[in-house]
Amino acid sequence: MNLLLLVWRNSFRKKVRFWLTCTSVMVAFFLFTTLSGVNHALTASVSSSNQYRLMTSHKISLTQSLPINYQQKIAALAGVKQVSYASWFGGYFQNEKNQLPVTAVDHNNYFDLFTEYNIPKDHLLQWQKTRTGIVIGQALADKYGWNIGDKVPLSSSIWLNKSGSFNWSFTVSAIYQTSKHSGTDNKIFFQHAYFDKGRAYAKNSMSWLSTEITETANVNDVIIAIDNLFMHANNPTRTTTEQVFIKEQTQQFVDMAMVIKLVVIAVFFTLLLIVCNTMIQTIHERNNESAIMKALGFSSTTLIQGIYLESLLLLGLGAFTGSMLAYLLITVIGQRFNEFLPGISIVPSHYLMVFALVNIAAAFCSAFPAVAIKRIVISETLGGQA
Amino acid sequence: MKNNHNITLKDINKSYQKGHNTVVVHDDFTLTIKSGEFVALMGPSGLGKSTLLHLMGGLDQPTSGEVIIGTQRIDNLKQAQLTQWRAENIGFVFQSHHLLPVLSAQGNVELPLALTSLNKQQRKEHASYALHLMGMSERASHYPKELSGGQEQRVAIARAIVSDPHILLCDEPTGNLDRKTADEILALLTQLNRDFGKTIVMVTHDKKAADYASRVINLESYIVEQSHITPSEYL
Repeated sequence: MNLLLLVWRNSFRKKVRFWLTCTSVMVAFFLFTTLSGVNHALTASVSSSNQYRLMTSHKISLTQSLPINYQQKIAALAGVKQVSYASWFGGYFQNEKNQLPVTAVDHNNYFDLFTEYNIPKDHLLQWQKTRTGIVIGQALADKYGWNIGDKVPLSSSIWLNKSGSFNWSFTVSAIYQTSKHSGTDNKIFFQHAYFDKGRAYAKNSMSWLSTEITETANVNDVIIAIDNLFMHANNPTRTTTEQVFIKEQTQQFVDMAMVIKLVVIAVFFTLLLIVCNTMIQTIHERNNESAIMKALGFSSTTLIQGIYLESLLLLGLGAFTGSMLAYLLITVIGQRFNEFLPGISIVPSHYLMVFALVNIAAAFCSAFPAVAIKRIVISETLGGQA
Repeated sequence: MKNNHNITLKDINKSYQKGHNTVVVHDDFTLTIKSGEFVALMGPSGLGKSTLLHLMGGLDQPTSGEVIIGTQRIDNLKQAQLTQWRAENIGFVFQSHHLLPVLSAQGNVELPLALTSLNKQQRKEHASYALHLMGMSERASHYPKELSGGQEQRVAIARAIVSDPHILLCDEPTGNLDRKTADEILALLTQLNRDFGKTIVMVTHDKKAADYASRVINLESYIVEQSHITPSEYL
């Protein structure tokens, strides 16, 4: 017999109550972990974006185009290292259900700015030489079985080409990879020159510019300088850091994440009250047992440690089961919805957070029983005043 | 406390606050119980018999006065010190057995040994021996709900003696038992006093139970007597 055995036996003496409470803990941590996985997808691209990159788009809307010659004008500004540009193509493969994030980019320097895409040098050179070439992510290559040299027809729901068709022909020239958790291995890039020459309208324009500034430049000064440059032009600009730009694009999802977060906080708070109530009830039922243990020489501290361990077991078991179920769900969702919302995954630090939360909750739930244990007067609890 | 296990209550005053009223339970009460005695404390309800027992066991503290066990004065010890002192020196047997329902008889008896430096095997051996003394070896693996009232009380006594305390404090140990079972329990207590030299103080309302003791103190007449002599004459 030791204290841990007693904790174990005490935990399971009211089995129905234990498992019902444990299930409520499980549900709370299931929600928490699932949200964490989704939240990672929504914020991953924001946190990984380069702090030296600026995004410039039309002041009115991202759907309005800007003249391509803006690139040279911005490049001439102080503090600017290099400028590239891109346009949204909005493609799909075979049918509209297979939507793909396809972007036309300046083939001369786009990947000099966006170094997070790891492309073998010979592939990159090949792509730059091939007018109809595309750079595809490893995930897409794996999914569709595409290899270098394969002809890939893609359609656009926006851009008509000169032959009056929405169908465009491409050749796979390069395959890129990104870091394991960034979830951006599903993009397609092709030459803006091919796009500009092939489309039926809106020539010599693009959707946005990406500017890399020098390390010594002041971000705000460069932003102001760019926007001031085009303040009175037909196409005024709005420049932000890349982080802000991406954050704005995902704002609708982030807001949704905030709603879910609030729901989870509410669930957690309720859960805390439930577990706390369970532990208070538990210690109330065992008042005599606590008193006899004190009479036998067990200190209040030892009894409180026992209650803490019971709370820890209850919360830990629920949290572990809930987190594991969420992990399985997130793995399945991550595979199925990778194209729609890439980067759904649970980062290892989340499990540290779960561990910390379980310990804090266990300490909180043990606090009231601890006071009750401290207040037990053995003579009043066990013996009459004969 | 190696040789002297006398229990001395000296000029004890004990009062409780009940609402706005102060209830005086003991007023300048003095008593000495010598090491190795089997004392029965008797008297009508409300006279403070259990309170005396609780004072001797460090479960309660006097309003004033001294409680000395052997050479150790315990009324001025802090709670943590008292807790440790109890674990080493006192065994309790209550009217209700207060066994933990989640532990077997063996587990319940081993419980106080969890506070000692004994290893698992030693704890098991000590508990088995205590159960053997109480004639409960065959029921060691049984849980409290599987035992009769008398058997539960035997296990409770085994738990009280397992750490080999010099003093056993018993509060109505046979109060819930039938005559035959009560006699069996009292015979066991007598055996512990006679064969193992345990000092036993037993609170009881039962005159037949008191007959097992080597000294019977009727608290009502003792208090009247005490009021005519000084504590120093007693000591």
